Amino acid sequence: MAAPLPLVLIIEDELHMRQALRAILAGSGFQVVEAASAREGLMQASGRNPEVILLDLGLPDLDGREVTRSLRHLTSAPIIVISARGQEHDKVQLLDLGADDYLTKPFGAAELLARIRVALRHAAQPLEDLEAPITLPGAVMVDPLRRQVFRGGTEVHLTPTEYRLLLTLLRHAGRVLTHRQLLEQVWGRQYAAQTHYLRVYMAQLRHKLEADPTRPRLLLTEPGVGYRLRELSEPLKR
Amino acid sequence: MKARMAHWGTGEYVRAGGIVAAATGVCLAARPRLATVDIAMILLLSVVATAARYRRGPALLASLLSTAAFDYLFVPPYYTFDVFNPSYFLTFGVMLIVALLMTGLTARIREQRVRADEREQQSRALYALEADLAAADGHDALLATAAAHLGRAADAPATIFSAEGLVSDGGATFPEDPVFEDAAVRVAAMWAWTRGVATGWGTDHGGEVPVMLLPVRAATGTVALATIRPADPAVSLSSAQQATVLALAGAIGSALDRQLLAQQNERARADVEAERLRTALLSSLSHDLRTPLAGIETSASTLLDEAATLPAATRHELLGSILEESRRMTRLIGNLLSMIRVETGMLAVQQSWQPLEEVLGVALLRMEERLKAHPVTTHIPADLPMVTIDELLIEQVFLNLLENAARYAPAGSPIDVSAYSEDASVVVEVADRGPGVPAGDKERVFERFYRGPAAGSADAGAGSGLGLTICRGIITAHGGKIWMVARPGGGAAVRFTIPVAGVPAPLPAASATG
Repeated sequence: MAAPLPLVLIIEDELHMRQALRAILAGSGFQVVEAASAREGLMQASGRNPEVILLDLGLPDLDGREVTRSLRHLTSAPIIVISARGQEHDKVQLLDLGADDYLTKPFGAAELLARIRVALRHAAQPLEDLEAPITLPGAVMVDPLRRQVFRGGTEVHLTPTEYRLLLTLLRHAGRVLTHRQLLEQVWGRQYAAQTHYLRVYMAQLRHKLEADPTRPRLLLTEPGVGYRLRELSEPLKR
Repeated sequence: MKARMAHWGTGEYVRAGGIVAAATGVCLAARPRLATVDIAMILLLSVVATAARYRRGPALLASLLSTAAFDYLFVPPYYTFDVFNPSYFLTFGVMLIVALLMTGLTARIREQRVRADEREQQSRALYALEADLAAADGHDALLATAAAHLGRAADAPATIFSAEGLVSDGGATFPEDPVFEDAAVRVAAMWAWTRGVATGWGTDHGGEVPVMLLPVRAATGTVALATIRPADPAVSLSSAQQATVLALAGAIGSALDRQLLAQQNERARADVEAERLRTALLSSLSHDLRTPLAGIETSASTLLDEAATLPAATRHELLGSILEESRRMTRLIGNLLSMIRVETGMLAVQQSWQPLEEVLGVALLRMEERLKAHPVTTHIPADLPMVTIDELLIEQVFLNLLENAARYAPAGSPIDVSAYSEDASVVVEVADRGPGVPAGDKERVFERFYRGPAAGSADAGAGSGLGLTICRGIITAHGGKIWMVARPGGGAAVRFTIPVAGVPAPLPAASATG
């Protein structure tokens, strides 16, 4: 690993949370720069050019939406929002404004590192055109060239909409997609508010691809926010 | 009433005359065979008959007519009013006295009957009022019902104005009603209010005011003011009606008193309940938050102070307990916050169409660690209708029910989650094979701070006692019901329903290419 260690910017006003984040990240080989306020965070983002930004939702000096918009002007580095439970509405707003993912407090080190890993991977290699067959958890295999999906070796027939939904999730594997983002990408902008379409198709997909649809291992629900395809063990190849 | 009396009177006088005439006729016909004393008796009988049936006036007329007929026709010298024998004066006297006594007697009886009728009418009106007032729900409904009864008793529309907006220090304020635009009515209203005396039309005070102003008095003084507005103020109230109206006003005052008392009792009960909640909350906070905090502090300070000497296994154990206790506190605080949202009505339910399966899936995933010791089976039919729910709140319901099952059921026993649709509702059941709930506690388990008897797993009784209360609050907010059933074969089962409100908008045809 000759490459310089990735730099993570932590924007968090609470001292102990900042300390914990720093401890986890430094222990895993990241460089860390800290900001205790939104304004300081924006300065650091433009001055230090971080590769990932951890943004606490609910900083005292600026509104989260304002911070996200400003950060998006400054940098294309992935933003991971750190929030408490019960702030789903705010999280969705930030995700729709360009934040990449979120974490709900309290979280463990493994969860935090997985999010950062996925974010860095997607930032380095945006996946638009998939060609090589992809193996997913639960013995599910997707062949993008042939548009075929297999589970345990047998082909599963998906409707065109189901396939589009699966492929959209696959392109963002490991990352959360809000209801709105999925509806816009699969159905089109005019259906952005019709969440129940999405839920129906998601249920159908689960019945076709999951061993137990009430305990999904692949197509995960992010309550109040959206869906996430479980992080793949191997990076996707084009 | 006076006019009617005069009308009846004329008929009575005529009939009194008729009776005397008939008696005289009988006497004339039977004269040859009758002694003068017998004739006097027959005529006296006619006076008695008249006095028994009619009023004093006709009876006096009858006694005069009989005396005159006796004197003129049957006492020598005949066909004159002269009298030879002074003893006949006694006959006249007796006839007069009998007439007077009889009429006095019958008049009293008649009077008593009329009184009794009036009293019966009044008590019937009071009874009807009491019955209706008892059924009236709330202050305004009570006043409206009472006004209707007053109006019926007085044959004129009545309105009752509550004390609010009537009383003020210094100047009087009047309700916004056209009737109070009349200065005379305002003066009468103030008089009625301050003295507590019925004033205006149909009363003994200020009869020239065209409206009756009737104070409604309760134990605390005048609490409302009734107005009765006759269509024609020239037609007054009968004394019986007036008495009924006054009696009704008294009964309305007592009803208002009772209502006030009931409200005060209700408030006092709520205060006691709030106090009980505060106490329970305080003890819950002091015990349930301090216990894990103390554990965390002890473990952390031990780790900090003895870092060098502690064996790795002990360090691991201490760290594990810090984590476990923190999670317990997080759960408890989450429950307390939900509880406050339920209790204060801040539970903003954001409903959208969802398959229940998805919400259950989220809850099962989050509980994975807690449910390690229990095999969980789910029976959710694929064709279960979608429901309109707040996914985060229903997830909380599942979390709490699963948490209870995990806490009370012995390790290794299964937990079954099932759902089915029934009567425009989806019914969900979370069932365990734990000790179940005592039959008498099926309702009490939903009360705040109820804790099941400690049994089964190690941390039974370590819950906040809020889980099911929150579940009930959430399910109720969704228009559903939640209850506990005894499970055949042992164990507890909680069932809840969520109404199915129609079907979601149809899906568009699959669009474009995949």
